[in-house]
Amino acid sequence: MTAIHTRGLTKRYPEVAALDGVTVRLDENRIHGLLGRNGAGKTTLMQLLTGQVFATSGEMQVLGGTPVENVEVLSQTVFIQESQKYPDTFRAVDVLRIAAGAYPNWDQAYADRLVEQYRLPTKRLIKKLSRGQLSAIGIVIGLASRAPLTFFDEPYLGLDAVARQMFFDDLLADYTAHPRTIVLSTHHIDEVANLLEHVVILDQGKVLLEADTDDLHDAAITVSGKATAVDAFLSGREVLDRKALGTLATATFTPRDGDELAAREAGLDLSPVSLQALFVHLTTANAASAAEATDIRRASDRAIV
Amino acid sequence: MRIRNVVQLHTVNKLQAFGWPLIIMSLSLTLVLVIGALIVNVGGAGAREGMNQGMQYSGAIFALLGPLIGFGFTAMGQYFPLALGFGLTRREFAAGTLLVFLGNALFYAVIVTIGKVIEVATGGFGLSVRFFDVVYTGLGEWWQTLIQTFLLIFMVMLVGAAITTAFHRWGQSFLWIFWIALALLILPVVAGFLLSEDFRAFAGQVGAMGWVPWMGVILGFAVVGGGTWLALVRRAQAR
Amino acid sequence: MLDESKPLFQAVAEQIEDGILDGTYAEDDPVPSTNQLAAFLRINPATAGKGLGLLVDAEVLIKRRGIGMFVAPGAREALRHRRKFAFEDQYIAPLLREAAQLGITPEELAGMITKEVVR
Repeated sequence: MTAIHTRGLTKRYPEVAALDGVTVRLDENRIHGLLGRNGAGKTTLMQLLTGQVFATSGEMQVLGGTPVENVEVLSQTVFIQESQKYPDTFRAVDVLRIAAGAYPNWDQAYADRLVEQYRLPTKRLIKKLSRGQLSAIGIVIGLASRAPLTFFDEPYLGLDAVARQMFFDDLLADYTAHPRTIVLSTHHIDEVANLLEHVVILDQGKVLLEADTDDLHDAAITVSGKATAVDAFLSGREVLDRKALGTLATATFTPRDGDELAAREAGLDLSPVSLQALFVHLTTANAASAAEATDIRRASDRAIV
Repeated sequence: MRIRNVVQLHTVNKLQAFGWPLIIMSLSLTLVLVIGALIVNVGGAGAREGMNQGMQYSGAIFALLGPLIGFGFTAMGQYFPLALGFGLTRREFAAGTLLVFLGNALFYAVIVTIGKVIEVATGGFGLSVRFFDVVYTGLGEWWQTLIQTFLLIFMVMLVGAAITTAFHRWGQSFLWIFWIALALLILPVVAGFLLSEDFRAFAGQVGAMGWVPWMGVILGFAVVGGGTWLALVRRAQAR
Repeated sequence: MLDESKPLFQAVAEQIEDGILDGTYAEDDPVPSTNQLAAFLRINPATAGKGLGLLVDAEVLIKRRGIGMFVAPGAREALRHRRKFAFEDQYIAPLLREAAQLGITPEELAGMITKEVVR
């Protein structure tokens, strides 16, 4: 079943189109990655899907209904927002107490265990907590709420390496024991790449790529060899990135069927492209083509003048 | 409707919701009593009578009312984003918060009324001071104080919430328009006082109008503030 | 730990295969469950499941409903046979290509291999 389905979802602010015609379909009970650079529209998309902001245009279905002012949908949804504001006078214990009442599936014993595990000082004012401790509050709520639809927005900002590994282990263990739909938004991809079953890459408010991670292995390949051989091979292919050093060149491209064999026969070395590298290539290429489009527009403007 | 959760949101921190206003009120009352004791002991009977008259306008009670004025602002500014974050709907937030406003206004109105009854019965705590029995809370019967204080607190919370919501919606430009509109309203009044004998006479009549019309005015502000707030909150977005 | 050059689920399958070949998992022995694999390798359970599924399809593993996955009888031999078949492609061909680039004749290469084995 589909947990989230959007069609042409758009959110415009006076200065900027934060989200521009986003169409995605996220299946139930999977771990989805929502990837994008800062300002790509990840948070806006999740705010729309949780009814926190209103769409300018487009449609969305969340757990079978529209999320806006919908108790049935929202009571099954938890959104751990990276920039969540808490009242000045709140301590972690206050937030956890409210969360316990707000989420029907809340597991208090599990929450207590997590609090201990992440060494969260529950009696200190939240505004005095470190970035990592703030993230820990979100992790405790996001996991212990066991909501059928769980959004994590940059959940491990400020956590040290040990705590990050702890989070990945906790997430996996609890997801295995209580399968649910999880949307993990981040721009630090390498560490979570193996946890994701499906990814959406956003850039400048648009969907750059949506695919199952298993299929992404063939989404791009890096070839290297003599510059002349590399360039000859690349002609007519969709190049994402090319670098040269002296007579040697390395290039990443989007392969079609048979390209791997052809590259080997051309005497080129092949290497796989990690999700993080693919993400960097795609967003960089997108930025370059956007700049190019602007240049062309400027040039034609000048021509008209 | 998960109104219980919204109420909990506002009251989970007991010290903040009920503790501090009462502590500050107690401190303020103590201060007034100390001043009263000094004046009564140092000055004579005349000083005592003068103090009792002057203290009708004493704003010491605002030590209690002041934090409550801020309640409407924080409700929208700090609690609304968290309510949305917890997946509560705007409708639930508005209903629960309205209930909290009502409960708060009633709770503190009862406290003020009890204080006033004691104050009047003991002759200003034996010192002829006035803390609860002042113009803002009503100089009439105890039930008038109850109603007046309740309406006043409730109105201030609603107006505060409305202003904060509008500020969130339209940002700084709303504040400019708000201040300019307020200035445009106040300036003619001030000018009238300074320049026109007739206006002064008219204003005197307005000021002397009965208790019931004044309650009507407060109620009017509450209705406008509450209506604006409820209309805006249904379309308010997270920031 | 996992071969990064392959899709993750294939790498998972190969790791189990390695375990069968080196005797970690004997025939008729249970292999780790999807969830155990996912937790141990810190990967999505669906990916781990897909890796195991690959081995079930190849009849290397047998699924016993409600109990788990077990190494199929004769799996080790079958795997060895298949790996031998792939060995030429995977190791011999690149070896010869590199040798040719360095001007090593096949005879010299054979000599080097014999010497390495003796040592």
